[in-house]
Amino acid sequence: MRNPSRQPSRPRIRYVNTRFQGPAVLGFAAIVATGGAIFWKLVDGKFQRVFPDAAIRGHYTFVSAYDIVRDLLAWHLAGLFAGVFLAGSVLVLLLVFATRHGIGNVVGSLRASAEGDLSTPTGAGAIGEFGRFAQRVDDVRSGTLASVLKIRNEAAALAAGGMAPEEFRLRWDELKQRIRGIAP
Amino acid sequence: MSAPEAAGNAPLIARRYVFGLLLRLFVTFAVGVGVLFVILYFALSRPLPGDYAGVFHALRNLSPFLRPILAVSVLVYALLACGSTSALCVYILHKVAGPLYRMELVLDQYRSGAPTRTVSFRHDDQIQALAQAFNQWIGTLRRDRHRWLATMMDAERHCLQDEATCRAEMEGALRKIAGDMARYR
Repeated sequence: MRNPSRQPSRPRIRYVNTRFQGPAVLGFAAIVATGGAIFWKLVDGKFQRVFPDAAIRGHYTFVSAYDIVRDLLAWHLAGLFAGVFLAGSVLVLLLVFATRHGIGNVVGSLRASAEGDLSTPTGAGAIGEFGRFAQRVDDVRSGTLASVLKIRNEAAALAAGGMAPEEFRLRWDELKQRIRGIAP
Repeated sequence: MSAPEAAGNAPLIARRYVFGLLLRLFVTFAVGVGVLFVILYFALSRPLPGDYAGVFHALRNLSPFLRPILAVSVLVYALLACGSTSALCVYILHKVAGPLYRMELVLDQYRSGAPTRTVSFRHDDQIQALAQAFNQWIGTLRRDRHRWLATMMDAERHCLQDEATCRAEMEGALRKIAGDMARYR
């Protein structure tokens, strides 16, 4: 019989990262709010003029107020849609660019790390969450470099000789243990 | 280390993903504008009174009457569009946010000294190259670690011989390891 507690736990899927999705949500909200405010301002201004003008003109060939403002409303709604969608698309492209730039830098620095370069910073200019993430990667790389340099110095000191056999053996075992700690 | 070159063969963000996001944005904003149109249509399409004076007065007083309706309908549009784009951001951008979160966990695990397993993201996640680059780096470190330990164990085998040979072999192994580690900078 299978013990459910022994089953490997599935990695938790996290949908919300406020540092990453938060600014995107705020950006889209700002675009929608700005578009709505401009639409309201323009249409309200036009309504203030169009209906009194229609009243004064006198030839009432329309059935409802909608017949008077049909074209005006259609154009403004089309403008609202086009403006908001275009601005939203620009925001999407900016997000994609920021992701490609920020994560691309991290990928580049990890590949450089595989070649032995653990000290070159991941790269400035990453935006928001990506800058913070790059900093974390850099911290891990510098930590690894510090361990490797410590081991290297210890190895060089031991190789220089002039040490009692007991002490040499003790430090040799410690060094082996330290090497085992690299990328466990 | 420029971004496009670093991405390697697989793009960090698939073009299909970007088009999908734009398409969903298109539909979301279209529905929002559609709702706004429906509200305004119902507010404006009420028949005007039949007689001349009635129509005149109705048109004269229509603008102040429509102002709050217009404000409320724009507010409804803004709330609807903001809500749906927020949901869109959460459920579409998690394909980037999720892998970032997972990588942060892996980095924390690595820093704590716990055994690090090979990182793999969900198949439809973006930024797959990040996991590949991390695995490549950890793989290189592990290969080096195995080589250094093998060098040390190889030197230890000589301890079955006399003490001087053992010590000389060990010091030689240490020099080799120190030289090998020099590539890390």
